[in-house]
Amino acid sequence: MFYSSSTFPASTKRIPIFGWLLLLALAVHAPLLLFQLPAGSFDGNTHMFFADHYAHHWFNPWNEKWFAGFSQTSYPPLIHQLIALFSHIVGLTMAYTIVQALVILLLPIGVYRYARLWVNERASLYAAIGSIFLGSLVMMVYQAGQINTTFASVMLLNSLPFFYLWIREGRMLAFWKGLAIFLVGCAGHHVSMIFGTPFFAIPVICLAFIDHRDDRADATMRQVATRTIIFSVLAIIGVLVVLAPYWVQLYHNPIKQAPIYHESRANYILEPVQGMNYFIIPTAALILAIPFIFWRGATDKRLRPLFIGWWFVAMIGLGGTTPLPKLVFGTRIWEVLTYERFTYWATLMALPFAGLIAEWLIDRFRGKAVAGLALAAVLSGSGALAWLHAHPIQSSPFSIDDVVSFLNRDDHARYRYITLGFGMQLARVSVLANASSVDGDYNAGRLLPELMAGGSAQLTNAKYFHHGMEALRSMLQHADHYGLKYIFVRDPYYEPLLAFAGWRQAEVYDNGNVTLWSKDDVPPAHRITPPPGAVPTPLEGLLWGTLPMCTVVFALTLLIAFPERRRLAETIDFPATTDAPEEDAVVLREAK
Amino acid sequence: MNRILAIVMIALTAVLIAAGTAPSKSKERTSSPEGAVQAFYDRVKADDYRGAYELIAPSSNVDFSTMYHDIAGRDGSLKTLSQLRDAEPRLLAHNGNEALVRASLMWATAVGDLHESRDLKLVSSDNGSWQILWPKHHEPNLPPQVISENYLRWDVIHSDSEDNEWGAQNAESPHVRITSMNAVEREGKVIILGELVNEDTVPGYVDIQGILLGKDGEQLGEETSFDKISHVLLPKEITPFRIDFDGVHINQVKKVTLNPTSVLVPASADPVIGVLHQQLEKTDTGHTVLKGELMNQSGQLVNIPQVLATYYDNSGHVIWISDGYVDQALRPQVPVPFAVSVNDDIAPNVHSYRVVVNHFSMDRPSA
Repeated sequence: MFYSSSTFPASTKRIPIFGWLLLLALAVHAPLLLFQLPAGSFDGNTHMFFADHYAHHWFNPWNEKWFAGFSQTSYPPLIHQLIALFSHIVGLTMAYTIVQALVILLLPIGVYRYARLWVNERASLYAAIGSIFLGSLVMMVYQAGQINTTFASVMLLNSLPFFYLWIREGRMLAFWKGLAIFLVGCAGHHVSMIFGTPFFAIPVICLAFIDHRDDRADATMRQVATRTIIFSVLAIIGVLVVLAPYWVQLYHNPIKQAPIYHESRANYILEPVQGMNYFIIPTAALILAIPFIFWRGATDKRLRPLFIGWWFVAMIGLGGTTPLPKLVFGTRIWEVLTYERFTYWATLMALPFAGLIAEWLIDRFRGKAVAGLALAAVLSGSGALAWLHAHPIQSSPFSIDDVVSFLNRDDHARYRYITLGFGMQLARVSVLANASSVDGDYNAGRLLPELMAGGSAQLTNAKYFHHGMEALRSMLQHADHYGLKYIFVRDPYYEPLLAFAGWRQAEVYDNGNVTLWSKDDVPPAHRITPPPGAVPTPLEGLLWGTLPMCTVVFALTLLIAFPERRRLAETIDFPATTDAPEEDAVVLREAK
Repeated sequence: MNRILAIVMIALTAVLIAAGTAPSKSKERTSSPEGAVQAFYDRVKADDYRGAYELIAPSSNVDFSTMYHDIAGRDGSLKTLSQLRDAEPRLLAHNGNEALVRASLMWATAVGDLHESRDLKLVSSDNGSWQILWPKHHEPNLPPQVISENYLRWDVIHSDSEDNEWGAQNAESPHVRITSMNAVEREGKVIILGELVNEDTVPGYVDIQGILLGKDGEQLGEETSFDKISHVLLPKEITPFRIDFDGVHINQVKKVTLNPTSVLVPASADPVIGVLHQQLEKTDTGHTVLKGELMNQSGQLVNIPQVLATYYDNSGHVIWISDGYVDQALRPQVPVPFAVSVNDDIAPNVHSYRVVVNHFSMDRPSA
């Protein structure tokens, strides 16, 4: 049957568990990473765009390339700054790949350590192995390009075991390590930490309350509660300090824009394609574990908090299939959030249960179970890759070389430009071109009234949004004001509006895939005066350029200077029947 | 107790999924004429044209293809670049087994929102549900013919010198002049109306920028004529223009500055689009509209026409300009109706009017 606490085989002495996990993660994901698949994801180019700005202007978060100027303090900087650092050595795209690779390598370690709170060492190892093949990980990394969310999630998973040790046993070193790693996660993506932490941490707090009565009494209920409050308060203060410029800009420019449609808010039953993309493919073989999770989660007292947490996050991950997300977050936040990250978290929280099943199956069916589980894991990951291949996020590739070349020559950067029908290539153009655009692939950074009024996202995708064409029309009406002279069109749908509004087709690129439209009487672009408080002060720029990186230095210093001493237990047969050399032999004496 | 928790959680999951799914599937009610029309356009909105066709009465004698193109457009017209956003049916008449329903439709199109009003006849079927009698349009089938073209055309040869800035013409701009200008306040905004003439012997691309200055010299607004002007003017051609300033009252305005710009561009006089049978009419709701027909007298298809109507008072001043996109393509020699609205308070003062037609053709996007 199942064991909640047992010991791990002694064979792990030679190569540490984490070493095996890293090698396996590398073996699975390195080929995909070396093909630079993450760089072709939805948000990959946007993250590289942010990173490119830090690479050139580390202490100046005001970026004039999008929206005629926006502040990058509206998005946590750590990941982009790490990419910027690496980009000086290996280039931007490879730097993005390296940082994403680091996240993937840290994931099984985080899952192992988090699972270890709930299940035995062997089940935790199986859970960690499973995390490498998660369909949701594939979707997050290679489709969505959610490098920040995956980073923050990994930090959360690695932080919580220290948090548990602190609230359970009051170890100061665990406190500082947990806090430091938590702040690193916040500097990477505070939204993921804010919305993810309750689902992951509350079960851990409940576990500490449950565990304090077991074994030896390490702490009273009051002590556990007090330590939880201390950690929470200091974590909140830490986030406020580390991301201070973010809170300043949020105070000056609260998010007022209209909600933007996202497929993850659909009802997955009524829209089966979205159900496939956001539930079936990411959850993959873990779907088979759901009945077990219900049964074991409800019946095992120690696993019950994890079960409840998993259930909540899984239900929220169903997006508009249930009214739960709207009830939990309220209508406003419901319309702002996207829900693929909740499914990702649900799969992470399901892994300890999956580890238990794997342990039981292997104990019972040995080789057959290993083969079956391996097949299920591989099919989960490769199935997601196959889905991405069958449903590419960009159906027909096209070249942006001529577009970039045009913008970077003959002083064309004196004017602003937009692209229409470029999709995620908009961000790639922005990275490579010197000119400024009134569009951008980052909705929260928009300050221009033409873009904020309707519920549309990028102008380049205007036709897909309810009020998208109104936003585009409004922007074109004020082309003179913004110095918007050049429009690169890849979708003929937009041509009638441009023609009636006075733009004329000037050049044709990429065998007719892209056309350049220009308006003759547009004056050169001038600096658009941003709303008060929108431009970060030099002090904010300094803090933004130093504090997030300081969290990494602080965490690494603690982890390296005070390495974790693992408790390695091993099962010893009694009476001892060992052929080991004399010096390694275990001496056992029967108690009299 | 433990099993109860599992059962409760499973039940809760099922209830939540049911609660999230059930309200989304609104039940279609074809038992009333308005319900049938609503169901019809709901299916159109969901791109379920086959489903919509099922609500057409067999007695209409309309095949699926005809109905589909009646709704979704053909020949690259504006309707082919449109998506139905909203439909609001209203019962106009109900007589036993027959009814008349007006559907107010809102389309999101490639040039902006388009409102359409469509009257549909319905008949009650044997099972009590209502079905739409889809009108059968007679599409004129022109015999094969040759249309000779003798239109004027102007080309521009640019200098090949590498010293030239991209797009710079280094040629004198066509002479244009604003011949009339009027400022009015309507619907909470100041509107500048007028006409511009190309006085030159070469065609020009024209645009007008308007700046409103307040009593203290402060700038109240800066806008352009955008799509309410003919941007390409042939020699001696006149275009109306209209510039809208939202959120400004006319008593705030001390000065209006208009900056016309012109650039030499290649142009041709084709296609020639005639405006036929134009007249002011009252709709059954009491509003005034200018109705007429457009006739493409050339041999090539015009995908999207735009009508710009200028209204004059007794003394020949421009008192209003209205515009509208026509959602049908102009096939050669086939008349297509158009209608643009006129403000009710202006209609009594209209003494004469003039209609010009802008156009977009997919094979000549910049024409």
